[in-house]
Amino acid sequence: MKNISFLICAVLIGAMGCKVPYTPKISAVNSNILVVEGVINTGNDSTVIKLSRTVTLTTTSSVKPEVNAVVTVESSQGVVYTLNDLGNGNYSAGVLNLDNTQQYHLRIKTQDGAQYLSDFETVKNTPPIDSIGYTIQANGLQVYANTHDPNNATRYYRWDYAETWQFHAKYESDYVSDGTKIVARQPANQVYTCFSNNYSSTIVLGSSAALKQDVIYQQPLTQVVSTSEKLENRYSILVKQYALTKDEFDFWTNLKKNTEQLGGIFDPQPSNINGNIHCTTNPKTPVIGWIAVTNVQEKRVFIDNSKLPSAWVTSYPYDCSTDSNLFCREEQGQCLNDVLQNLIPLNSDIIPLTTIIVAPSPAVVGYTGSSVECSDCTIRGTTVQPAFWR
Amino acid sequence: MFFLKLASAQDGNKKIISVNFQQAKIEQFVSELESKTGYHFYYNPTQFDSLKVTVQATEKPLETVLNMAFTNTDFHYTITQQQVFLTKGRRVIPELASGLFNTQPADAAKQTNIVADYTDEKEKKAVEATTENKLYEIGIKTNNIKSGTANLAGYVRNVKSGEGLIGASIYNPDTKIGIATDQFGYYSLTLPRGRQTLIIKGLGMRDTKRKIVLYSDGKLNIEMQEQVTSLKEVQISAEKVANVRSVEMGVNKLDIKSIKQIPTAFGEADVLRVVLTLPGVQSVGEATTGFNVRGGSADQNLILLNDATIYNPSHFFGFFSAFNPDIVKNIELYKSTIPEKYGGRLSSVLDVTDREGNKKIFTGSAGIGLLTSRLNVEGPIIKDKTSFIFGARTSYSDWLLQLLPEAYKHSSASFYDINFDISHQIDDKNNIYITTYISNDKFRLNSDTAYGYSNKNGNIKWKHNFSNKLYSVFTVGIDDYQYSIASTANPVDAYKVNFSVKQTNFKADFNYYLNTKNTLNFGLSSIYYTLNPGDDEPNGSKSLVAPDAVPVEQALESALYLGDKYDVTPDLSISAGIRYSLYNYLGPQTVDHYAPNLPKEPVNVVDSITYKKNQVINTYHGPEIRLSARYNLNEDLSIKAAYNTLRQYIHLLSNTTAISPTDTYKLSDPNIKPQFGQQVSLGIYKNAKANTIETSVEVYYKKIDDYLDYKSGATLLLNQHIEQAVINTQGKAYGVEFLIRKTAGKLNGWASYTYSRTFLKQDDPNAGELINSGNFYPANYDKPHDFNFTGNYRFSHRFSVSLDMTYSTGRPITLPIAKYEYDGSERVYYSDRNAYRIPDYFRTDFSMNIEGNHRVHQLTHNSWTIGVYNLTGRANAYSTFFTEQGGAINGYKLSIFARPIPFVNYNIRF
Repeated sequence: MKNISFLICAVLIGAMGCKVPYTPKISAVNSNILVVEGVINTGNDSTVIKLSRTVTLTTTSSVKPEVNAVVTVESSQGVVYTLNDLGNGNYSAGVLNLDNTQQYHLRIKTQDGAQYLSDFETVKNTPPIDSIGYTIQANGLQVYANTHDPNNATRYYRWDYAETWQFHAKYESDYVSDGTKIVARQPANQVYTCFSNNYSSTIVLGSSAALKQDVIYQQPLTQVVSTSEKLENRYSILVKQYALTKDEFDFWTNLKKNTEQLGGIFDPQPSNINGNIHCTTNPKTPVIGWIAVTNVQEKRVFIDNSKLPSAWVTSYPYDCSTDSNLFCREEQGQCLNDVLQNLIPLNSDIIPLTTIIVAPSPAVVGYTGSSVECSDCTIRGTTVQPAFWR
Repeated sequence: MFFLKLASAQDGNKKIISVNFQQAKIEQFVSELESKTGYHFYYNPTQFDSLKVTVQATEKPLETVLNMAFTNTDFHYTITQQQVFLTKGRRVIPELASGLFNTQPADAAKQTNIVADYTDEKEKKAVEATTENKLYEIGIKTNNIKSGTANLAGYVRNVKSGEGLIGASIYNPDTKIGIATDQFGYYSLTLPRGRQTLIIKGLGMRDTKRKIVLYSDGKLNIEMQEQVTSLKEVQISAEKVANVRSVEMGVNKLDIKSIKQIPTAFGEADVLRVVLTLPGVQSVGEATTGFNVRGGSADQNLILLNDATIYNPSHFFGFFSAFNPDIVKNIELYKSTIPEKYGGRLSSVLDVTDREGNKKIFTGSAGIGLLTSRLNVEGPIIKDKTSFIFGARTSYSDWLLQLLPEAYKHSSASFYDINFDISHQIDDKNNIYITTYISNDKFRLNSDTAYGYSNKNGNIKWKHNFSNKLYSVFTVGIDDYQYSIASTANPVDAYKVNFSVKQTNFKADFNYYLNTKNTLNFGLSSIYYTLNPGDDEPNGSKSLVAPDAVPVEQALESALYLGDKYDVTPDLSISAGIRYSLYNYLGPQTVDHYAPNLPKEPVNVVDSITYKKNQVINTYHGPEIRLSARYNLNEDLSIKAAYNTLRQYIHLLSNTTAISPTDTYKLSDPNIKPQFGQQVSLGIYKNAKANTIETSVEVYYKKIDDYLDYKSGATLLLNQHIEQAVINTQGKAYGVEFLIRKTAGKLNGWASYTYSRTFLKQDDPNAGELINSGNFYPANYDKPHDFNFTGNYRFSHRFSVSLDMTYSTGRPITLPIAKYEYDGSERVYYSDRNAYRIPDYFRTDFSMNIEGNHRVHQLTHNSWTIGVYNLTGRANAYSTFFTEQGGAINGYKLSIFARPIPFVNYNIRF
């Protein structure tokens, strides 16, 4: 519905004037609410629980880890599994080998003495992802997932994903400064080809509850615009799929509504987020989060640039140009050494690319150079190829 | 053919004149003769409207000219002193009527004899009283007028169209007895026999008076002229006191002329927009469907178009009102005293009345705007008996959408509405009125999801007069509202959701003018509801959507009512009414029953019972009290008090701030109780400057029980167990409303200021969840300060300007107060519900109305409306929202009319 009002606004005054940034004046009281995130993993992977506290809106960092807590998983038969404190609010245990017929919950003792407990949840099995595919759209790639449950028992799904892609700097640098002179760049030090990654930041939910069969067909996961560097060479996405109970689905839907699509006059009013975690020492203390018990399914796919429309051209995020740096540039009868001036210093933001030779002499009279942004991909990624890359 | 002339007249009437008339109409003929002779002519224009005079005379006496004009016609003239009487079929005999001297001073005699013989054979027929200076004789003429009282009844009509005038006041200054006409323009008045003067006033009509001699019970139909706004100060007599004298309080009445003066964003007069300028009426934002009256929610307003219930009163999601301004005659908003014949909603009744078609001539109008056009045609089917009126509007906004960025370019939007009404007079005692209305809206966003909704209404009214004092109106009608949402973007998920609510109505209303002091209203009504809360079906052959439907609900809402308006003394009036409403929830239906005192959740279902067709599942009933009183402190100052209770059995399910087109309705059932509201109000009314300035102050306190609110994240559409998603809340509202209104003169308009608060509370621990820890919280439409100014200044007959100003406190919102990271993104934690407010609202609109020339004899009259909406360009927040973008929370404000928006509208009448 927000779209409708926006549309009418756009008709009236042009799209630019309709939506303007808005910073309300609100009280600076810190609510300091405990936030619990994670899944009790019944599959062959580790269980990771992340604890943090809410911060005021004006705080620069949105993460305030809750450290030194004691976190345990407990079964309905009283078996206790303690999670290790990894620091920075992360608590983890290896593969727990949990019993699918049991119920489990999470107990948290924070360093301020408060105790928190999640509701007992039955193990909800996640069916495997059938396939990850994509459709070519006018302005980019739409990545989707297909899955189904032949038992029609899952019905509610959530996905998150990690994208990884290979990309290039604008210019390839064959040379590097060692601090005193320019030397040939070794393959191990190349800064032309890099890898970068990104984690999902929107909640992706799907449901087949309204369908006759438990089938999820072409569930949209993410869109990649055609000019994105992600598609320049090779793109990979690792999708994780979680089965949800109806209540957990409602929790995520509510969270999504409250934080991703709220405030329009036709949007639901913001409402309290009720997770399945409660403070046992003070029942009035709010807690944010849902602790589910499930095995997590995952699938990785690669998409090569060669499979994509040839008309799609990557736009490099910076304006780039090269310049000559000579050992001797004459200016007003004097000889200026640009190489020494611009390229030799180790902290220089100009990187040597190729040699300059004035034919027929084979002597190197200087180097072409360009900015770090245009010739060093490591400022936006890593040259280390991930283990899964193939 | 011969003419009998009085000797005295002959002697004194040797006026010599020269004239040249070619096919002249009587008005032209008379006015020229009047100006040349200085005599006054008396005649009935309707009798002479077929006459065309062609006379050429040079230096001839008046008599000769009149002889030439009327030779071989059925028309006659009589000349006395300085007066000329033109008659048809019979001559005026200038003798004095016997019996008149019993009650009248001699100086009145000259006038009284004028029409002495006119009505003697028409006692049973209504006297058509068209002129102020005639003396009309009512009833069976007797030599001696008996003492005591007699009843006078009839219609007050517009002389141009023959249409009945609603709410016109007929007042006898000697006895201080007065009454207002009802929805048909009918009145019934008990007066002392003998010679009386009646003063008649109507909204937008020129004040007039009638002189009568009341012999016995009889009928008098009165025709009124439309008010032609004059540059000179309009003379307002001391009886223009409706707001001070009526018993009703919290009633605002506006005719279409005042509505049309108010600038709107698209240049077309908008009925609902004007309602928002009245004190005590608010909305959650500009361009939203629905309005809030005295702290009530939007579904607590009963919106009636010619007695048909309109469920969605707007087009285009609230940007246009669904009422065609060329068809609407007037609107009445009842905020406090709700007449006992209305029921079923808690907050207000907005009664929109269409015009009747012109009973005399064919006429029409058309209007062209940037986004919409409209056409209206009306005229007689049988002259003076049957007439029709037709109105249609349509939009053509798609060309504008093509100019938009790619993301919105493939959208489409359109609407239309059609009104068609017939009124027929069978005889003096029986009238039939047929009214129909259809509206339709379609909207498609980026060739993906398509929305559509429509209203369909039709009813037939039969008005029967049993006697002068008693009449009845029987109404049957069907109201139908439905919408659908369809999507075909993903073939597997392609769906279509339908919703509809249908009601079949029957009503019998009686009006009994018992005596001078008492007017009784009584009647009964019944509404049969069929409500389809929603069904979801696959859309296309590839769709895997499983058909899903929430079972259709049925209910019968009936009521009996009785009310008496009792004038205890000329200064004290009481209106007391009771309405007893009875509600039956009917099968077929399967209803879950829950364990008492436990939250309504699946685990607490103790039984599920299936009921057969038309089986009564449960019944709610109770009395509703409608009480008001008025005491006149002096001629132009009165105080009033009122107490009202109401019950509402149908609920709008909406958890959005504004009414969204996808909100559904729910009928009360064993798990969802009817809403109950009470209001007490007190007001003081004062008129000043010969009643051209009306002022009032009203205070009210209101309590609402069992108003529905929703659990967090509740899904309302296609919810099979809606009782599990709703919670009962209590509401309270109070406020004070100031209104000053200038009704006449070059400058007219009104200004209002309202201070009001509205709070809701949900503290039932069994509801499963407490909002704001069970404390009172402000409702979405709680806007404490609200100021409105609406003014019109008329420079000349052809040019006027209007200015409209609105200020209100920003509406409450729930704001994020903290942030945290979850699932890879920054997210926000919200404050208590409605703990903060959006910025205050302020807007000024300006418009100019330019009329073409006013010559009567031309084919068409045209006019232009040019103006600017939101003159100051203030970017009022339509809504605020917070979105996560690339992992960060950003707040945005959406302002729809963020710049001055010029508009132009062209109107033509024919």
